Amino acid sequence: MARGGGGCCPPMDLMRSEAMQLVQVIIPTESAHLTVSYLGELGLLQLKDLNAEKSPFQRTYASQIKRCGEMARKLRFFKEHMSKAGISTSTQLTEISLDFDDLEIKLGELEAELAEVNVNNEKLQRTNNELLEYSTVLQKAGEFFYSTQRSAAAQQREMEADQSGESSLESPLLEQDMLTDASKQVKLGSLSGLVPKDKAMAFERILFRATRGNIFLRQESVDEPVTDPSSAEKVAKNAFVIFYSGERAKAKILKICDAFNANRYPFPDNVAKQLHAVKEVSAKISELKATIDMGLAHRDNILKSIASGFENWNRLVNKEKSIYHTLNMLSVDVTKKCLVGEGWSPVFATTQIQDALQRATLDSKSQVGSIFQVLNTTESPPTYFRTNKFTSAFQEIVDAYGVAKYQEANPGVFTVVTFPFLFAVMFGDWGHGICLLVATLYLIIQEKKLASQKLGDIMEMMFGGRYVIMMMALFSIYTGFIYNEFFSVPFEIFGKSAYACRDPSCGDAATEGLLKVRQTYPFGVDPVWHGSRSELPFLNSLKMKMSILLGVAQMNLGIVISYFNAKFFKNSVNVWYQFVPQLIFLNSLFGYLSVLIIIKWCTGAKADLYHTMIYMFLSPTDELGENQLFPGQKTVQLVLLLLALVSVPWMLIPKPFFLKREHERRHQGQQYAMLQSADDSVVSELGDHDVSNHHEEFEFSEVFVHQLIHTIEFVLGAVSNTASYLRLWALSLAHSELSSVFYDKVLLLTWGYNNIVIRIIGIAIFVAATIGVLLVMETLSAFLHALRLHWVEFQNKFYEGDGYKFAPFSFALISEEEG
Amino acid sequence: MGFWVTTLIFLLAGVVGSLFSLLCCNRGPSTNLFHLTLVITATVCCWMMWAIVYLAQLKPLINPILSGE
Repeated sequence: MARGGGGCCPPMDLMRSEAMQLVQVIIPTESAHLTVSYLGELGLLQLKDLNAEKSPFQRTYASQIKRCGEMARKLRFFKEHMSKAGISTSTQLTEISLDFDDLEIKLGELEAELAEVNVNNEKLQRTNNELLEYSTVLQKAGEFFYSTQRSAAAQQREMEADQSGESSLESPLLEQDMLTDASKQVKLGSLSGLVPKDKAMAFERILFRATRGNIFLRQESVDEPVTDPSSAEKVAKNAFVIFYSGERAKAKILKICDAFNANRYPFPDNVAKQLHAVKEVSAKISELKATIDMGLAHRDNILKSIASGFENWNRLVNKEKSIYHTLNMLSVDVTKKCLVGEGWSPVFATTQIQDALQRATLDSKSQVGSIFQVLNTTESPPTYFRTNKFTSAFQEIVDAYGVAKYQEANPGVFTVVTFPFLFAVMFGDWGHGICLLVATLYLIIQEKKLASQKLGDIMEMMFGGRYVIMMMALFSIYTGFIYNEFFSVPFEIFGKSAYACRDPSCGDAATEGLLKVRQTYPFGVDPVWHGSRSELPFLNSLKMKMSILLGVAQMNLGIVISYFNAKFFKNSVNVWYQFVPQLIFLNSLFGYLSVLIIIKWCTGAKADLYHTMIYMFLSPTDELGENQLFPGQKTVQLVLLLLALVSVPWMLIPKPFFLKREHERRHQGQQYAMLQSADDSVVSELGDHDVSNHHEEFEFSEVFVHQLIHTIEFVLGAVSNTASYLRLWALSLAHSELSSVFYDKVLLLTWGYNNIVIRIIGIAIFVAATIGVLLVMETLSAFLHALRLHWVEFQNKFYEGDGYKFAPFSFALISEEEG
Repeated sequence: MGFWVTTLIFLLAGVVGSLFSLLCCNRGPSTNLFHLTLVITATVCCWMMWAIVYLAQLKPLINPILSGE
């Protein structure tokens, strides 16, 4: 039920949120799934959760949701493997309708197949890595033996020559090994393998200590990192050979090797066997490679077949999951074998919803039709604005501060124009405006293509706000012409400058200045000002007064909108005891200041407006003297001061008393009605969580304090908000100064040199600085400040913004969320 | 060109803009009113900006003093 409701003015799109109604649908169980599916496609019904007290596991369709969750998990598994293998999914969404159960079975089969293929591939890879390690060991250990054999042979020759009997550690042992001399009965065993390089030192030390130095270890590092079979990562390893004697030593060494993850490989003693082993290993490796390639190809085939259907399956699973979540929100009426749902929908969608319900009944061949009825409630409905691609960005800007209360005036209507306008006041330069326009036109022209792509975060924001930026650019071009700045250079586009020298020689141009000889420059700031010494005093005065005038205008607009709100909600207390005193207070002070500014400009008087305003308060009965702008000014000021003083208690005191009287009047009527409503409430008990809404307590002191706060906020805010609009001056000054510095001190300076290199560097720096500082940073800065002016100074005159947004059950919205 | 002449030009531009929006995007009375509001707001904002800058230069109190280069 809509409180109040129009009648004062013709309806306007987007001015007030759509009329909503609380509806109740009763659906027979057999057509429930189809009904919810059609309602989801329509996307105009926001269902309330009637089963809020139940946990997710107690709800009716929990098992279905589990199935959907399983399927989603399988799809994620596929996606992971597809991205690892570098296969992308096709983004075409075909309209093939798949059966849910069939899809479940298919996904299960595909998952099992893929898992099996992966396990097999892994096994093959592991075997491959082991073989590669083995071949490395064979190669390295072979080198040990040959090198020591050579040195052993050399030593032997030395010994024969020397006959000294001096033996090195290595040669006698190996000699014996090589010669298989049975004379010395020491039988040596050998172990060879690979150990990770970083553990090599510790390995050697522990082996030495454990075997009490009775082993011989020779290590050599392998040049390239080797893929470790168990971890499948590339690790730098050392090849080692250990010679030991005795079974106990062997057992210790084996244990130590296992502890250090050193992989051992059998190394045959004699040369012929070594060569044979090398040949065998290389043959196995090449065979295995072929098998692995085939395995990978098979896996890729599976993944490709998944990729072609992936998007469709994903969409279907998400749809089904959302349908079951929604079904879980309906309450089950077990006795009548139907589901009852309550929700908000716009009034205009009534026929569409009824149509969807009928279609579902027909398609599911149900005997019983669904029931659709409107309920009466005092709950506050959600806010729904029907925006198009142009207005949605502006509406989002307004909603970011607070969603409009149901059917209150929407500042978004005016924001479409005033926000880009205030941005442009702070950004005014038609060169920069053209750059912005070109950039945003590119985004708009490529709209369709960019909308379907996945853009990064920043690009996404820029793309979403492309129409905002376009408006900002158009207004910036306009204000650029007004401020007469093209990359800070003025032009004489609209006629000749109004100023000329006093005498033909222009001798005193730099001391006394120029005179105004012609008519005022017809459009914008006279081009003669740029670069002159009195430029800043003139422009500052102009821009500050302009900020005040624009600010007072926007604040008055805000107060007038609050009048329309009061009319709409039929709240005459607000009209007479809030709107009128607020209007009087603001205008008798700052509206008067605006009038003074305009009179001063029109008459060219030398009055000091600061002085006038301050002494209007401090000593209102004093004579104005040379600050007089029009006859009778003193009387006017006295009257305005009195009006301002009277309006403060006018907005503070009467309203609480009126509210108290209204409340008493309402409650008196209610006392009588209570007996009857007790019976009604039993019958219409459908999920009414707010039964006791009518018994609001009325604390007079609370209402009075609330009104006091509101009054103080307004009175103090009048001064502070007006001053806040001076940021329009501040940012516009900053922009023009920065622009001027970059032009004069970078471009002109480097252009003065005749060197082409310096000129190019100058241009490059100018372009970089313009883009980085002026087009990016200043744009963001002006955007932010224009936003603040809207959110705080404009909206706190009328906006409550404590509503909640309409979030219908819609497949389109869900697929947008998924990304 | 004079203050009032240019103000008249702005007024005419606003009227032309409203008619144009009515002709090209006629989509029902409430939408038309919305477009009209936008056009009028834009015209008023642009006119205010121009008028402020024009009035400030009508009878100036400061003269441009060149920087003597």
